[in-house]
Amino acid sequence: MKHLLLALCAAFAPLPALADTASALDDLILPGFDKFESATAKLSAASQESCLPADVDAPYQSAFDAWMQIADLHMGPSETRALSIAFWPDARGFTPKSLSAMIADKDPVISDPEAFMDVSIAARGLYALDMLLNDPRFSDYTQEDYTCGLVRAIAFDLHHQAAALQSEWRENFAKTLSRAGGSGNATYLSADEATRALYTQIVSGLEFTADTRLGSPLGTFERPRPKRAEAWRSGRSLRNSLLAVQAAYELAQVLANQPLPETSLAMDKVTEAASHIQDPSFQDISDLQARLRVEVLQQTVRDVKEAIETEVGKPLGIAPGFNSQDGD
Amino acid sequence: MATRRAFLASFLAATAAPGLSWAAAGNPAYLAAAREADGGFALFGIGRDGQDCFRVPLPARGHAGAGHPSQPIAVAFARRPGEFALVINCATGRVTHQITPPEGSHFNGHGVFDTEGDLLFTCEQRAADSEGFIGIWNARDGYERIGEMRSQGIGPHDLRLLSDGETLVVANGGIATDPETRDKLNLDDMHPNLTYLFSGSGAVVEQVTLKPELAQNSIRHLALTPDDTVAFAMQWEGDAGMAPPLLGLHRRGDAPVLAEAPLGDEFAMDGYAGSVSFSGDGSSVAITSPKGGRVHRFATTGEFLGAVSRSDVCGLARHRSGFIASDGLGGLIHIEGSQTRPLARQKRAWDNHIVELDQGHRPT
Repeated sequence: MKHLLLALCAAFAPLPALADTASALDDLILPGFDKFESATAKLSAASQESCLPADVDAPYQSAFDAWMQIADLHMGPSETRALSIAFWPDARGFTPKSLSAMIADKDPVISDPEAFMDVSIAARGLYALDMLLNDPRFSDYTQEDYTCGLVRAIAFDLHHQAAALQSEWRENFAKTLSRAGGSGNATYLSADEATRALYTQIVSGLEFTADTRLGSPLGTFERPRPKRAEAWRSGRSLRNSLLAVQAAYELAQVLANQPLPETSLAMDKVTEAASHIQDPSFQDISDLQARLRVEVLQQTVRDVKEAIETEVGKPLGIAPGFNSQDGD
Repeated sequence: MATRRAFLASFLAATAAPGLSWAAAGNPAYLAAAREADGGFALFGIGRDGQDCFRVPLPARGHAGAGHPSQPIAVAFARRPGEFALVINCATGRVTHQITPPEGSHFNGHGVFDTEGDLLFTCEQRAADSEGFIGIWNARDGYERIGEMRSQGIGPHDLRLLSDGETLVVANGGIATDPETRDKLNLDDMHPNLTYLFSGSGAVVEQVTLKPELAQNSIRHLALTPDDTVAFAMQWEGDAGMAPPLLGLHRRGDAPVLAEAPLGDEFAMDGYAGSVSFSGDGSSVAITSPKGGRVHRFATTGEFLGAVSRSDVCGLARHRSGFIASDGLGGLIHIEGSQTRPLARQKRAWDNHIVELDQGHRPT
């Protein structure tokens, strides 16, 4: 989980007043959780109507789009919930293993929403759905099959999680962030710590996109790993990366509350690089030209990160974490 | 006991200089190193209220400290590869001795005094092959090096003395490093272990290893209960997607118990535990992850109790019936069950560890 690796913090320069935590919450983050809640409500309802991949796909895609707006916020209630909603990368192949086991056993847990919350996080959330709806090992089910009930249970649970996340952010964590430095706030001991925490999410998210969303399928030159692309079965790999970068950019804009010309130019180059990519699932990257195009995209994402560090991080006086960067 | 006494007698002067007590250094409860706002480094004594008791400038970034059980003496270890450690009189702020490991070796993190403060034990590794040693120093008189023993592993990082006063427990991290760059050289062939040594002779009393699939889990930091339950914190050097347990508990003669958090929480720790401590009341044990910005609490039987979020958190020690945690943002947080409370925030970055001074010998 590379995006968790980087906790940027620890520097002591006072932050300029323009850093805008309240707007970040009110204009972007909290509405993002609202949208994810309503998108997953639709997905769950649709799956009750018909659980078949062809019928669930559109609301599934919309829910995933909504998720990408908030996917890289790994703070507060999202610190762990981000994983039970989006269990990826899955180096150990937990998701197919867990799903296969449930299907083989016809695990009755799918008829008990309460108990389903204790199912392995690898068998919950968007990536479990991605596999059931799109992987030929699973997707060939009918309305009468166990898998149909499993899809419904996952969709129901996903909406339940989205609603919990929405309320945990709205009722609790937003206050922890906006009341940073208040008495008894042991998470953020000053206002600038909250700003730093949000900034960290931006930078970590961009690193995760470059290193993992794009880096994992690239693998090495000798050994590309197309099956390690994110949500490749549903054709979302490129889209997820672009939505994640866009979300990071928007958060940087609202947090900085001032024009970010360099970052804006870097964003244009991301769009340009993405327009050359032919397979949105990166399944063609064993081809040298195709690989090169993803590498170029990866570089443009890193350039966005650098531009944000220059235009947002430096003015805020934010330096890498003292202990998290160190290791001992 | 006879062996150890004889061993001591052969090296130590008959009388100890009458020393000052920790009261002379403001009665600190803890030692912690930090980087200050101006970029310099210092060692601090900290009271139970989180306020500074003393400050001694350090020439470079420190890693961990060892506190003398009765006198206001701290040994500050340089960061790995540690070329030296400073013996500091915390009442005067004066460096009384600089100790250096033998040619071709370096200090490797932590050190510990014996119960009376007569001896100092230090984790060391031989630069050429990372073979581990425990250095023995005469803390009663001049900090001369008076012996060494093998740590029985590669790259020993932390050590503690059991309640019998003569058995050392050592965390052999298992990682061979390049002496200059700290590059890790053997991640595919690691054999970390927890080794109990008889301090008088270096004889192995017991050695604990984990199952082979956890061989890349470097055993690095230790905490101890008064009745010798050992908690060991680990750092995962294998595949990032594995999310292995990062805390183990061991009692002499038993099999180790691994303490595992739910998978989502385990992932959020990022495979890294920086410090470990039991709670003040001994009923729970916790690890920190600066990479994940989290503290994980467990029952002493290994069940997960909960997580606390705090950016760049790393140092951890007992505080009242719970814990005190220090972080790179200058915060000191009191954790009591699932409740957290800020104790202090200073304009400095607390370094990896906060070391509790021995309660039994500290004037109250």
